[in-house]
Amino acid sequence: MDFQANMQPELGKLEQIVHQFLLKSLHVILDSRVPLLHQHDRSGDLPMGSRVRRSDKWFNLALGDRPAALDNLSFWHRNLMDQMVIDIILVHEENGSSVETVIERWVVQYERPRVMAPQTGDITGSYKKTYKKSILLFRTLYSHMRLLPAYKIFRKLSSSSHTCNFDIIYKVSSFRDPFSRAEDVVLEEYSFTPIEAIPGRLCISVTYRTTLSDFNLECSTSLPTQIITDYVGSPLADPLRSFPVSEKGVRATSFPLRGIAPPSSAPLERPHSWTSGFHKAAPMVQNQQYVGSPPVYRAPSKPYDIPSPPTDSHGIRIHNYRMHNRHRSTSYDEYQLSPPFSPSPSPSPPTFFNSGIPIQTRVRSETAPVTIPYPMMGKSSRTLSPNLSDHSRNSLPPMSPKRNYASSQESPSGIRSFRKLESSRIGELHTGFTNNAGQKIARDNKDDSGRFSGLLSSSDSPRIGFSRSSSRLSFQDDLEDGDFSCPFDVDDVDTPDVQPSQSKDGKNAIEIGSSVPICKKSQDAAVGVLVHMLRTAPPLRQDSSCYSSHSVKPEPEGGVATASGFFMPRKTADALEELRSYKEMRDLLLSKSGTRILNKE
Amino acid sequence: MNCEACHLKELEVELFEIREVLRCILHSIVFHRALGLVRPKDVDLELFDITYVQCGEVELGKKIDEKIEQFVCWVEKHPNKKSQICLSFYEVKNKQASWFSNKIERLYWEQWYIYLNVAQHPKGHSSKSHHAKAVDPGEGALEDRNARSAALEASLREVLFQIIKFVNEKKDHVPPIPNLEGAVSFPYEITIPSSSDSAFGMDMIKRMLQTGHPTMLS
Repeated sequence: MDFQANMQPELGKLEQIVHQFLLKSLHVILDSRVPLLHQHDRSGDLPMGSRVRRSDKWFNLALGDRPAALDNLSFWHRNLMDQMVIDIILVHEENGSSVETVIERWVVQYERPRVMAPQTGDITGSYKKTYKKSILLFRTLYSHMRLLPAYKIFRKLSSSSHTCNFDIIYKVSSFRDPFSRAEDVVLEEYSFTPIEAIPGRLCISVTYRTTLSDFNLECSTSLPTQIITDYVGSPLADPLRSFPVSEKGVRATSFPLRGIAPPSSAPLERPHSWTSGFHKAAPMVQNQQYVGSPPVYRAPSKPYDIPSPPTDSHGIRIHNYRMHNRHRSTSYDEYQLSPPFSPSPSPSPPTFFNSGIPIQTRVRSETAPVTIPYPMMGKSSRTLSPNLSDHSRNSLPPMSPKRNYASSQESPSGIRSFRKLESSRIGELHTGFTNNAGQKIARDNKDDSGRFSGLLSSSDSPRIGFSRSSSRLSFQDDLEDGDFSCPFDVDDVDTPDVQPSQSKDGKNAIEIGSSVPICKKSQDAAVGVLVHMLRTAPPLRQDSSCYSSHSVKPEPEGGVATASGFFMPRKTADALEELRSYKEMRDLLLSKSGTRILNKE
Repeated sequence: MNCEACHLKELEVELFEIREVLRCILHSIVFHRALGLVRPKDVDLELFDITYVQCGEVELGKKIDEKIEQFVCWVEKHPNKKSQICLSFYEVKNKQASWFSNKIERLYWEQWYIYLNVAQHPKGHSSKSHHAKAVDPGEGALEDRNARSAALEASLREVLFQIIKFVNEKKDHVPPIPNLEGAVSFPYEITIPSSSDSAFGMDMIKRMLQTGHPTMLS
């Protein structure tokens, strides 16, 4: 039909406009509410030579680089006619715990009647009108966003000189959770005039909190960050710092995705919903739980706004949005969710927070990744694997306590928890983190590689793994103290295993180790000399009662005489003296050789 | 095409506040009417906790500032008066010479009226010396000023909401967007009271009838 033939390109163009309309509105809203989305210059001037990307030119409003995630709406927004609900959520502290409150809810929708009314009149070119009106709408939307209360806190948060005790995250979905009555009181609604987009219309509306003064939102000016040039991450704060850069890809998925089995199925039910993970984050449980949309963890009867989410997931949800967005892209793919905003694919590592602090201030700079070199000793003959089972290294006798502390003081910045350890054994403290842990693990004989395997194989939370190892550290301390009592009481002295790359402490170990066999050797020699003396000694005829002549009796006199060769007549005094010396020797021999001689006597 | 008019809420301003207030309002209106490709620029007011949006075009900013300076000069000559600034958008139509004897005709399709009541309040000591309490007169004046400033901020915010509302509700009268270079797509005019006029209304009528020398700002 001719009419239909005319419609098709129109509809196609309209659909494109609608699609871009949704994208643009999402872009405008998030650009004005969520920090870190762009750090682009808002000076406004289009500098000479700078090109605006074609995708940014839509609706004649150039906002800067759009995150790649937004370029493809389809995989989260299945149907163009689904409403797009963007919740702007304030994460703040209340009574010591982290609370999320929806401060704005934007709803963008292409409303289309189910029944297509017969189109009368000329609709050709109507998409042009739609487009023009959309341009106007986006101008008003952009201005309007700067007049709402949430804009101020967005500005505070965006300011790089401030560290704040709150954060703003967002959630995009295709449904709306109802607000509670208490919230309705403080909420107001504003609707932008719908734009005709025959056969439907485009609508944007916002429900927002009229005041944010109820919340305890504070920002303080932080000190300018400084770069510590010889920074070595403490394992307690930066469990991943020791890993080389190449581990990053693994890290992204290593974080306890798997630990949260039950709710992880939730996102599969709601693939068209995602939330942000913008923030500098702790390597905590990733956000998928939160994304498991509200009906999953809030029973449908529960209103959205309850400040304390279900307790089973609360502790985890605190950290959900803490995870850095860059890391979440890989994990989200697994759950068919759209990746969050990813401003740039740069591989800089996230910052991690101490696990104990729920609300973190925004750290404005990250220390450069430190590649902690593996110890030289590990490289030549054996690889330093987390499951360290090289017992030979244990065999080095522990240094004296003084030596340990001295060597630990040489190390930079102090891995304090390791000071007491046998770090001196290895000789180089800056490699000590991995090594010491390895040492500890091996010495423990538990082969407990919880810490490292947790980081690599994603089987466990690094935090949990680490706490285990820290308890082991104290055990190791006790073990070491016991060792000091008998410095030479070692199982095997394996002197060839001591690597030449060790420091002077290692060398001392070599010296001590080698002194032990020398001692043993001298004892054997002494016994040999004694035996020889006894055999070649002249017999004593006078006093045969107190002297066991068993060693002499079996031998004939002639044999003795011939054996000795230099037998001389003696006086009794000499003989007695000789007897005394023989007795001494006998005692010595007895003490060494056990009860054998005793029995014979 | 009908001409839509928007009358903004009257603002009580002091002399030192005029520039900021006018810049805010004029730029806001133009931002909603400059429908070419724009990279919006957020501008924070110094005197108030308000952020408005500019087009980011340097030329536009200069012209607006010029007009504002002219207005301030006028206000200084005519103190304590209610004044009005009109921002008009028009289309240029070529017309044959008529009794106005000019070829170019302007067809105004939208006009914005900004009403300002410029008051110059006495600074320093106020007339509170007769009070029994030893009230510091300076404090009283300061409080008054703070109250006025807060009221002005609220009113200014209202004006901005008004602009948004108007732009939202009335879209049909906007002419098709010409494919021009730059953000400003429609010619505009800023009219300030001139020294010779006592009644501003007369001035406006004159402008409407005139097809005078082209003041089209490119």
